[in-house]
Amino acid sequence: MFLEINDLHKKFGAENVLSDLNLQLGERQMLSILGRSGCGKTTLLKIIAGLEQSDGGIIKIAGKVMNEVSAHQRNIVYMYQEPLLFPHLNVFDNVAFGLRLRKMLRATIEARVSEMLDALELSEQARKMPHQLSGGQRQRVAFGRALIINPQVLLLDEPFGALDTETRQAMQVLLIRIMQTHPITAIFVTHDLKEAIIMGDRIGIMEKGKLAIFPDKKTFIAQNEYVKKEINFWQNL
Amino acid sequence: MNIIRLFNLTLFLLTAAVPLALALGYALLYSLGATGVLNEGITLVNWYKTLINNNLWQSIGYSIYIAFITMIIAIGLALWAVVRHGNVFRSGYTAFLIYLPLTLPATVMGFYSFQLLAKSGLLSRLAFQVGLLHDLAYFPILINDLWGVGIIFTHICMATPFFIILFTNLYHNENLKDFIALAQTLGAKASQVTWQIIIPVLLQKSFATLVLYFVFIMSSYEIPLLLGSQSRQMISVFTIEKLQRFNLQDIPQAYAISVLYGLLLIILIINLLGRSK
Amino acid sequence: MRKYFFNIILSILILLPFLVLTVLSFGRNWTHPSVLPATFTFDNWRTLLLTQSDLSQSVALSLFISISISALVTLLSFFTSKFISFSRWRRRWLLIAYFPYVFPPVILAACVQYYFLRLGWAGSTGGVMLAQLFITYPFGIIIFTSFWNERLHNMEQLVATLGGNTWQTYTRVLLPMAKGALLVCFFQTFLISWFEYGLTRLIGVGKVQTLTLKVFQYVNEANIFYAALASILLAMPPILLLWINKKFVFVKFN
Repeated sequence: MFLEINDLHKKFGAENVLSDLNLQLGERQMLSILGRSGCGKTTLLKIIAGLEQSDGGIIKIAGKVMNEVSAHQRNIVYMYQEPLLFPHLNVFDNVAFGLRLRKMLRATIEARVSEMLDALELSEQARKMPHQLSGGQRQRVAFGRALIINPQVLLLDEPFGALDTETRQAMQVLLIRIMQTHPITAIFVTHDLKEAIIMGDRIGIMEKGKLAIFPDKKTFIAQNEYVKKEINFWQNL
Repeated sequence: MNIIRLFNLTLFLLTAAVPLALALGYALLYSLGATGVLNEGITLVNWYKTLINNNLWQSIGYSIYIAFITMIIAIGLALWAVVRHGNVFRSGYTAFLIYLPLTLPATVMGFYSFQLLAKSGLLSRLAFQVGLLHDLAYFPILINDLWGVGIIFTHICMATPFFIILFTNLYHNENLKDFIALAQTLGAKASQVTWQIIIPVLLQKSFATLVLYFVFIMSSYEIPLLLGSQSRQMISVFTIEKLQRFNLQDIPQAYAISVLYGLLLIILIINLLGRSK
Repeated sequence: MRKYFFNIILSILILLPFLVLTVLSFGRNWTHPSVLPATFTFDNWRTLLLTQSDLSQSVALSLFISISISALVTLLSFFTSKFISFSRWRRRWLLIAYFPYVFPPVILAACVQYYFLRLGWAGSTGGVMLAQLFITYPFGIIIFTSFWNERLHNMEQLVATLGGNTWQTYTRVLLPMAKGALLVCFFQTFLISWFEYGLTRLIGVGKVQTLTLKVFQYVNEANIFYAALASILLAMPPILLLWINKKFVFVKFN
């Protein structure tokens, strides 16, 4: 397995935020994790990204233990719900940010950023500053900035949470399309059932620090309480 | 990174907390007679003398009086200006102009007030020229006077522009416009909007700043030094003068006052920071 | 119409002190009851700035002290405030910062003067600068605390996950984003140092003659023309700063 997590646990004071958490994810797969706010999903992502320390457990990527690797050397991007674009940089420079950190050649950066902006339908906004963009555009820039450095794992923490329904759907479609051209291992956290099903190759449910992953989407749909309720609702309408 | 952090925080403690602790520690020891020129051994006599000293309480009362009157008038003027003429401070040359008084320090403002209000000052000269005044003796005493007119005037000159800027910024940062629109849809008249929305919101949002400003006026030094009277002194002038007098008995008392005032400020800050959580 | 009236009154009130000071700085023989001085002359300016060099020395000394202090404090408090803002003991640290901020500088000076005298630092420029650091450093920290918020913390983490090391995080994101706050801090601490009277006098024991002390000296000598002139010199740097950018200069107490 590409991403492997064994017996991860974390306490904040007396509270178990994560307990004996296990997770396996194949390369270029997307795992959707469903969970309410406060279930520990943000902590899980931050530990995977190296932004927080676990109390115990092992995180491996492609067989290599990552626990001691610092966040900036993990090549794992953690995306917040907010796009967090750098306010002093325009769209182009925001997307180019990670490449510049890696001191790539100017021409390479130009080419790759332009390509990415094209894929995200942002070419016309390249010179705009973040405050001149709409919510959906900002989130797309944030995706571009993350994807362009080819992270080993992409962690998405409710990335569409702040968007309206229509933009949200458009973003889901766009992200799936981009993922097909830039396949990437990703964990997608959401509290939206439909979104979890659309986005994930596999689905997990997180509750009170415990994660249960279903073997495949069919089992999830067949076994899950929420799904049954939802289906009943639409059938009884 | 941890070394930088440690270095930084230590430096901060050494330059902010330690000097103040040393200062108050020395003042406390001196006031207790444990150190200093007289050094009579530990005694509470100086504290006793300080606490029953009428002049001290008068000085504190006088400082509060000056700060209070200044605040009332300056806040009133600033609120009136912002509510009635708010746009003036948002754009145009006046938006720049309102910052100008802040470029004058207390010393200069005090000097200016003196030139304006003294018996032979500009006002008295103007009154003379237009025939309102025929004899200097009839011009009211506005400087070095018992009621601190000169001090209050100078503080108002400094505080009002600052409050105008403060309120103008709050007015536009606190979504006050939305609240006003809401109140209007609920049927509020213009005067009700002013008195029940604008003024309460502005005062509430600026509360901590206003309290701090009150303390700044109370503790002010240069202005009362230039414009105050000999018989009524604000607290900083009172303390420093006691320290520099020839009577050595006064020095321990001055240090006791410093400690006392320090304690009052600690209590105030703890309360203030506790509120603004 | 009412607006014009208000603007005119406002302008007169604000500009009057500058006008009075300027007129007096060129004046001589101002006897009651004449409104203007009897003679106008450049002599005051010539004497003070060219012939007697101690005022120009004061200007230079003040500039040196205030610029060094504000540059140092801006640099230090940028980092310190970050550690404080993201510390578990944020409130306690802030309490420590607020205390010197509200304590009257002149009384602080009176109480620490003993140590400065014992250590031989009183009466020296370095001693005065150290004492000014006591009050400006906490102030700088208070200015920066609103800058280091949760959002910025997230942004810093984001840069790390994008592969940025500490150096890159500061040079490419944090410092550019802090430009406004850095300017505010520099200007404000400059003004505190520039205007400081009581503390400078007590720690400098009369030997460190900054411009503010000069104004006071002329006032005490009842030399109103020189006092007015020195006052104008004192107001010039702040006006210059204001002219450069008003929104960055004065946001005191927020």
